[in-house]
Amino acid sequence: MSRIEISNLVKMYGSHKALHGIDISIQPGEFCVLVGPSGCGKSTTLRMVAGLETISGGEIAIGDRVVNGLRPKERGIAMVFQNYALYPAKTVRGNMAFSLKLSKMPKAEIDRRVNEVAEILELTPLLDRKPAALSGGQRQRVAMGRAIVRDPEVFLFDEPLSNLDAKLRGQMRAEIKRLHQRLENTIIYVTHDQVEAMTLADRIVIMRDGRIEQQGTPDAVFHDPDTVFVAGFMGSPPMNLVDCMVTPGGLRLGGTELACTLPEGLRAGDRVTFGIRPDDIRPAADLPGGVPVTLPVDLIEQLGTEKLVHFRAGPHELIGKTGGRVDLAEGTEQRLAFDMAHAFFFDAETGQRIR
Amino acid sequence: MTRHLPAWALAAATSAAALMPASLHAAEIEWLQWFAAENTGGFYEELVADFEAQHPDITVKLVTQPFGKVRESIVTDNAIGVGSDVLGLNMPWTTEFLEIGILEPLDDYLARDDNSFETDQLVEAPLGKIDGKTWMVPLNAFPFVMHVNMGLVEQAGFDAPPSSWDALAEQAAAISALGDGTSGLGMPFSSQPPSNGPILTFLPLLYANGGRIMDGTTPDFDNPKVVETLEFLQQLEQSGALAPGAASRTGGVDLEEFIAGRTGFLISPGVHSSSITSRNPELDYTLVRVPSNGAEAYRVHGWEIGISADSDNKEAAWTFVDYLLSPEVNARVAKASNALPGNLAALDTVRADADATLVKQMDILSGDTPVEEMRQSPKAAASWSLMTEELQSMLRGDQTPAEAASAVQARWMDLIQ
Amino acid sequence: MPTAPVPTPTPDKEDAVTPSFRLPTAAGTPYLFLLPGLVILGALLSVPLYKVVEYSLYDNVIVERNPTFVGLDNYRDILGDPGYWSAGFNTIVFTVGSVIGHMIVGIGLALLVNADIHPRARTFFRSMLVLPWIFTAVVVALNWQLLLNPFGLLNYVLDWLGLITEPLDWLGNPDLAMWSLLVISTWRGYPFIMVSFLSGLQTVPKELYEAAEIDGAGFWHKFWHVTLPQLKPVIFGVALLDLIWTFQLFPLVWLTTGGGPGRATEVLSTLTFRLAFVDFEFARAATVAVSILIISAAFTVLYLRNEARRL
Repeated sequence: MSRIEISNLVKMYGSHKALHGIDISIQPGEFCVLVGPSGCGKSTTLRMVAGLETISGGEIAIGDRVVNGLRPKERGIAMVFQNYALYPAKTVRGNMAFSLKLSKMPKAEIDRRVNEVAEILELTPLLDRKPAALSGGQRQRVAMGRAIVRDPEVFLFDEPLSNLDAKLRGQMRAEIKRLHQRLENTIIYVTHDQVEAMTLADRIVIMRDGRIEQQGTPDAVFHDPDTVFVAGFMGSPPMNLVDCMVTPGGLRLGGTELACTLPEGLRAGDRVTFGIRPDDIRPAADLPGGVPVTLPVDLIEQLGTEKLVHFRAGPHELIGKTGGRVDLAEGTEQRLAFDMAHAFFFDAETGQRIR
Repeated sequence: MTRHLPAWALAAATSAAALMPASLHAAEIEWLQWFAAENTGGFYEELVADFEAQHPDITVKLVTQPFGKVRESIVTDNAIGVGSDVLGLNMPWTTEFLEIGILEPLDDYLARDDNSFETDQLVEAPLGKIDGKTWMVPLNAFPFVMHVNMGLVEQAGFDAPPSSWDALAEQAAAISALGDGTSGLGMPFSSQPPSNGPILTFLPLLYANGGRIMDGTTPDFDNPKVVETLEFLQQLEQSGALAPGAASRTGGVDLEEFIAGRTGFLISPGVHSSSITSRNPELDYTLVRVPSNGAEAYRVHGWEIGISADSDNKEAAWTFVDYLLSPEVNARVAKASNALPGNLAALDTVRADADATLVKQMDILSGDTPVEEMRQSPKAAASWSLMTEELQSMLRGDQTPAEAASAVQARWMDLIQ
Repeated sequence: MPTAPVPTPTPDKEDAVTPSFRLPTAAGTPYLFLLPGLVILGALLSVPLYKVVEYSLYDNVIVERNPTFVGLDNYRDILGDPGYWSAGFNTIVFTVGSVIGHMIVGIGLALLVNADIHPRARTFFRSMLVLPWIFTAVVVALNWQLLLNPFGLLNYVLDWLGLITEPLDWLGNPDLAMWSLLVISTWRGYPFIMVSFLSGLQTVPKELYEAAEIDGAGFWHKFWHVTLPQLKPVIFGVALLDLIWTFQLFPLVWLTTGGGPGRATEVLSTLTFRLAFVDFEFARAATVAVSILIISAAFTVLYLRNEARRL
């Protein structure tokens, strides 16, 4: 269980700067998720922590040691790879025991550890199988088992669930969460899936183009995004983000006036990006305190417990929500309400939040 | 009315003519040989063109292969029935080829009145009858000689090349002793094909010692003269006169080393003098008789011509052979390879502008006894291959000259059983 | 109602969706397409093969105009000939030695040129190292003869280093000739192994090496635990292929030592050639060739089984 301190981390590929000075401070036992679209630098950051990529600038410290110059095996880390990277010629037991054998641990101790971890991960009946004879979920657990037996200071996960189907992914997510509660190791976990990030993380670091957009607790990044990118990235379906004109009484949304109070400093005639989550647009009857608008419904998506309501406001398409049993017809005008208490405003140019 | 044939009819007629086999009157013959491989100046292409100009009804296709390949090619081509009509031959192959039935007897052709040459003017050795018939005619002839690097001889303190065995032994050892990678004499006894080193170097020495290896068509290798000659080789080896590595030295390397000026003496066919002088004009070079132990005999060699027994165009083939043997053409061929003509009627023409080395060869030819034994030997190639193996072992010190001689004799007899 | 001749596809059975072409006239069509290939193969393979086997059952063919059938006499003669067994032994030494040499050098160099160096340097080394493969056997033989002969470069260097006092006749000394031949054969043949191995290396997932690195594996551990097991089928396959080729390799030996000195490097292929074209014993040559064929065929069956298992 160690603290991880990443400061001003830079990665250059030739003259291309892939990371522009990243600072992340991870507390002992913290579950930190790096999330962002592909190419944002999250995997690069993780691999630099692991020692699989050289560090072009800045510093990484694990515990009290700066690990910049250390080899992967000297860093006290274990890693779970996206494709599991199990040794195909070794049995499950051989895969899990490999690093222990290399560290010249006595055989009895190796057996004890492997059996114990296999028990935790329900791998005991599979110990003598080769990876080719395992299902995707089983391989995933072996990959984790291989990391756990080493009892590392830090676990690194590189998109470990992306090769699993949706159902298994949900199960494994929960399993990883339980494991973390039990082992209490420090974890850095890379994913492009914001649901995984939200459910697993103590701390979410949202990255984009080699920079950190925002970091904080899941609550903070979801409910209090600093930038229009974070607002749009976190949440499914995504937050509605619409370029609007500020009017004396509120906003002009397509052809409709939306009466609301705006942050100080916004003047009539300014352009602003208006953001509101689908949860905060509901049929007027369900949301008494909201700002009512009547708009045409384009499309209904039935999700079961709720429905997504696509409607048009001038050139913009927005999404709202309603209960799964509410009966709405496509193509009709509906009276909807916007919960402007949870609306966000971003600078149309810089994307920075205007509070 | 027929003056204006339609163009298409003309075209049809001409292309039909083109499709007609030209051989209705004309013949195409193939000439398989290695001669053109040893003369890169295009001489043989011109020769063929000249022949075709004189005989418009015959075309000659020149098929050229390196010497080492020709023997195999003749045998395999014959086996699958695609043999060439006119064959470049080497005397030692005679008996082998007769057994397979490759060669056409030439007696009837030689007896014709309208030949361009007199049969009794031809170099005799290849004509000798085997099974009562003549199988080949000589295109040219040359004696085996000893090529001499005079520079090394003088450096070693002698003013003239050796003519006796004792002198050869003394000079060769002295040249080896000069150091700096020089050797007195090379013995190309590599097993690598054609592995005919002994017949290139050992036989000429044996003949100059008055010895023979055949008794008629029976091998007679374990006789005192052979043993004496082998002992001489052993003595050369022990005194350091021979270039190291005889067992891996090929005929090609032996020649190259001499041309490069690293060996004092080279025993090989006289024809090599042209490549020696053209490849290294700087070399202070001459050629002499193979040093003798009293006997004035030399191994004769030559490029021979035969006709394939399976040829469909034997008449045309003979016409070509006849052309090659005519004094005028034969002289040109001899000059082109710096050899002596197969038709001795051409001798004067060749002598007219011959260089010193060729004149020396002529003297050897005219004064000494020519010997060629391999042509009567059954399994000639196999026999010299095993000769090579036993001589390697003798020079290595694994057996005495007498043991080597009996080993060759025993294996050779075994071979022809 | 009786069953329809063509079953109607049922959506719950995947294989039933594949349309079935059962037109009676089309039954032989695929074979018709194969015919030209089969005819050519037949002419190129089976005729010579048949001829060789036939030759081995007669007395001296080609030389005799009317050879007589002698059954297995040639086989009895050959199997009773010490020269055959010594050539057989040399063949095994040459083949196994060459394959081991190819493997060690080929794999070693593949690992080296697979290193993460500048791409241009890597391309340079890769192309340089393939060179021995593209020379003809004649050129290889000639160059090595020059290199190894008593006044050649190798002896010069050894002498200069003070390692020898007398020049060694690498190809002419019966104790050294086979070793020299193995060195030449290794030099000549490693590129095939190197190239096969190199392409195999590129199929090993990079993540496996990373996982091993994190597990604490050094160069040898990674080679032993990741590279080798991953490439085992490739190695086994190319080794067998190499074995089959080397077993019947002819030109390199014939042109370099001619089987000598004596018969120190005589292998079955050179023995075959010697019997045929030096001794004109074509029937016995065919007999030795058939024995080579039988052994090669056994290796080939092994190879094909291995390939079938890989697929």
